[in-house]
Amino acid sequence: MEVLRRSALLLALSLYTAFAAGPFVWAAMMSLRTTTEITRDHFALPIPAHFEKFPLAWFSSNYSVYFSNSAMIVLSAVLILTIVGAMAAHCFARYRFRLNRVLYFLIFSTIIFPPQITIIALFQILVQYGLYDTKAGLVAVYVAIQLPLTIYILETFFARIPSDLFDAARMDGYSEWAIFWRVSFPIALPAVATTVILNFILLWNEFLYAVVLITDEANRTLPLGIQRFMGDQLEDTGMIATGLMIAIVPVILVYAFFSEKLIQGMTAGAVK
Amino acid sequence: MAVVTLDRLSKRYERAHKPAVEEVSLTVADGEFMVLLGPSGCGKTTTLRMVAGLESISSGKLAIDERVVNAVPAKDRDIAMVFQSYALYPHMRVRENLAFGLRRRGVARPEIDQRVKDVAAALGLSELLDRRPHALSGGQRQRVALGRAIVRDPKVFLFDEPLSNLDASLRASTRQEIAKLHRRLEATMIYVTHDQIEAMTLGDRICVMHDGKVAQIGPPLEVYRRPASVFVARFLGSPPMNIVPARLDGTEDRLSALAGGGGFGLDGAVDPARLPADRAVLLGFRPEDVSLASPESGPRAIVQAVELLGAETIVSATLEGGGEIAVRAPRDLVAQPGEPIGLAVPPQALHLFDPATGAAIPRRAS
Ligand SMILES: Nc1ncnc2c1ncn2[C@@H]1O[C@H](COP(=O)(O)OP(=O)(O)O)[C@@H](O)[C@H]1O
Ligand SMILES: [Mg+2]
Repeated sequence: MEVLRRSALLLALSLYTAFAAGPFVWAAMMSLRTTTEITRDHFALPIPAHFEKFPLAWFSSNYSVYFSNSAMIVLSAVLILTIVGAMAAHCFARYRFRLNRVLYFLIFSTIIFPPQITIIALFQILVQYGLYDTKAGLVAVYVAIQLPLTIYILETFFARIPSDLFDAARMDGYSEWAIFWRVSFPIALPAVATTVILNFILLWNEFLYAVVLITDEANRTLPLGIQRFMGDQLEDTGMIATGLMIAIVPVILVYAFFSEKLIQGMTAGAVK
Repeated sequence: MAVVTLDRLSKRYERAHKPAVEEVSLTVADGEFMVLLGPSGCGKTTTLRMVAGLESISSGKLAIDERVVNAVPAKDRDIAMVFQSYALYPHMRVRENLAFGLRRRGVARPEIDQRVKDVAAALGLSELLDRRPHALSGGQRQRVALGRAIVRDPKVFLFDEPLSNLDASLRASTRQEIAKLHRRLEATMIYVTHDQIEAMTLGDRICVMHDGKVAQIGPPLEVYRRPASVFVARFLGSPPMNIVPARLDGTEDRLSALAGGGGFGLDGAVDPARLPADRAVLLGFRPEDVSLASPESGPRAIVQAVELLGAETIVSATLEGGGEIAVRAPRDLVAQPGEPIGLAVPPQALHLFDPATGAAIPRRAS
């Protein structure tokens, strides 16, 4: 009986793993094969494995530039989001001031607009301020679109920190600024890690804003770089797969690094 | 060295229809242990938080050592507070919790370490210095909270019901620790509680609060023996003071209060000039001041229930003509519900209150 239950569970888990990981494994295999090989047989094993495609993509297909652009833009945006978002959330959760809730819901309500609605207006604004087709412009846009959700996630967490802790820190002689950095922020670290991962993954893969707001080859991010292998008539499927594999490495690293904190954040109740 | 003066201090919260604290005036002498005592919601915490600087002052003056500090932020008042919830920083070890306040004040590193070590030793926390708060028991957390205040060596200590989250036996021992602590440090302390035993045992003086106002200030026994109002009389003591309506009879030195079908002789204990015109009063006497007498003459009551507590016996009874009372009787008393008992109370143990205001009618100075 027990064996039967275990086997059923194992089977279900294996099916789900295959379902979730299948496309990933497939893309990984294709990243080691040439487009000609892929056209001949979509699902064949990568024998022989063309490891030289990775250096090729990195050096001759301009991937190093895309990669460092992506890294620069996304890391800046995530850093700003984390600091500004945490500070805003701290204020919303902790200070009583006029229109606190009004402002909070105003900011939060902007997430109901799909990007397609605002993107033309954004484009024009960026052009006017000379930020169109610049890395700084894209960082600003990324911060703007992700800030509401970041504040929302963090505010819920900050609001659960007992106010006695802040009062105790005030009695201990700390200023509001110091209290944020030395009490609020460290206690909220699990929630902060959650938003870091979330923002990083979303922005690392972001395509729509990047394709509309960036044209210059020197400013392109990874998702745009991968798109370059899709011609009008011909798609270099093999190189797209290689590009995807390169692009996914940082996501895995960030997730591995922050996931322990993420789990802590989700199982919450960390403060009592 | 710190004298804390509250001068008609008031607090009105936004959108509250009446002030949470109203014109509280109080001077806490240097080195004094002052207890703020009152039922839940009477404004004790609010008063304490105004002294701490955590709550703004709506009106009135707060001074520490003659210096008005209304506008001085909490961090610059040099006051330490022990919170009801302990408020330990969950992300810091006990050692860092203790040192946090000193770091900010620019105390040198070796001195911080020394002071943390000393305080930890004094409170029996030495073994726990590297633990996080979540790995401590309630009593240990409470001691860390105390230690965090002590280590700073502040001008004034504030306590907000620090024992209310402990179980009964731990509460009793910690109470004695706090008393010892006060004797050792000789620091000015303000201690909030709703527990009369804590108030009686710890306080140099007690300030009883009621509805945001001061009801009475004085040394514990004085407040117990000379309550200024019906509220104070009933708040202190367990079971509380018996209060029954009575009518005064007789003249001058032969006054007595009529209740329960008999007279309680006052024997000149009250000043006749201060009596209400219609001579209707509230008569108060503590359960332990009643001695049982023959029910043939004098005030009488019918026994309703008898509680045998071992060391003593509490008798609940209904006074003849109405009014519930409690009597603390010797443990060998034999009484059955329905039995009549006679009551005798010595004149100096009788209290008279004005039925309209509840205020005590002053006794004649003796
Ligand atoms: N932050 C607040 N905002 C509004 N009203 C409050 C606030 N804190 C306390 N009160 C009110 O003030 C009164 C006194 O509260 P408090 O000082 O906490 O009483 P205590 O400590 O004696 O139980 C209560 O009626 C309470 O509801
Ligand atoms: Mg309170």
